[in-house]
Amino acid sequence: MPEVADIEQLPVPQARAGKPAAWDVLFRRYQLPLYVYVFELVRDEQAGLDLVQDTFISAVKHIGGLRDDNKFGSWLFGIAHQKIVQRWRKRQEILFDEIPETLDEFESSPDDLLIRRESETEFMDLLNQLPLPQRSVLLLHFVEDFSLEEIARITETQLGTVKSRMHYAKKSLRKLLEQMK
Amino acid sequence: MKTPHDILFARHQAAAPRLDAVRREIVAGLNHQDAKSQSWVALLASWCLGGANKLWLELVWPCRRIWTGLAAVWLLLFIINLSQRDGSQTMMAKSAPTAEMMMTFRDQQKLLNELLADRALPADAERPRIFSPKPRTEIMRLKTV
Repeated sequence: MPEVADIEQLPVPQARAGKPAAWDVLFRRYQLPLYVYVFELVRDEQAGLDLVQDTFISAVKHIGGLRDDNKFGSWLFGIAHQKIVQRWRKRQEILFDEIPETLDEFESSPDDLLIRRESETEFMDLLNQLPLPQRSVLLLHFVEDFSLEEIARITETQLGTVKSRMHYAKKSLRKLLEQMK
Repeated sequence: MKTPHDILFARHQAAAPRLDAVRREIVAGLNHQDAKSQSWVALLASWCLGGANKLWLELVWPCRRIWTGLAAVWLLLFIINLSQRDGSQTMMAKSAPTAEMMMTFRDQQKLLNELLADRALPADAERPRIFSPKPRTEIMRLKTV
């Protein structure tokens, strides 16, 4: 599991100053997590690569809009999320589903779901069966271990909605995994 | 047992070379932009140098004798000014009174004071006479006698 983006010392000020080497470090750090997140939502390799490229180009262009250098990771994922939403809108896919806001429990660690080696493919299939908003929240949690507040900022949704989506996504996943046993 | 994070990253590890290519392409573009901005600085510097060179060739070099003459005149004026300043300073140093001169001056001053004091007090002959008027008849009697 990579370290949380907030603790890492990333060359964001240098990138802000327009140093190509600093951008190289930042892209290298986020290229795979970003691709995993994007691909698992769009389910298309070329589209995933294009979206990652667009995200990087937008990041370079709009780095001046980043208020807190420590939030670079969530800011970058926010750009990627916006690009995915734009793509969904173009394809007129269902963006949101109605989920009740009541919560029973919430697991905070992304490691709380442990999957057996032989169940990996099934896990991925189950993940893909989840509605897009739930999948998005869960992926952000799994890929970069973002906090609920950060996920709310990335997806531009209310914190309560994020909590609700996370809860139901995990519940659904757990249920499906138990059914497989 | 694996975490969802491990499973997800392992599944997409194959995309790493293509992602590297995407990254390299963007960074190459940034390097190109950076080089372009640096070349702007170089261009500005060369333009300034070129301007200075042009100024030298067109304004100074064709009239170099005149500029040299003017420079020589200014240099001469400066030297004269400097030498005059030195002369006045030495004159002032030379005209400063010595102790002997000051003593002579004091003696002369003293003598003059004494002479002036004597003139201020005149002799007895020159003292003013006290006028006492007498009756006119008495004066006539004295004449007849």
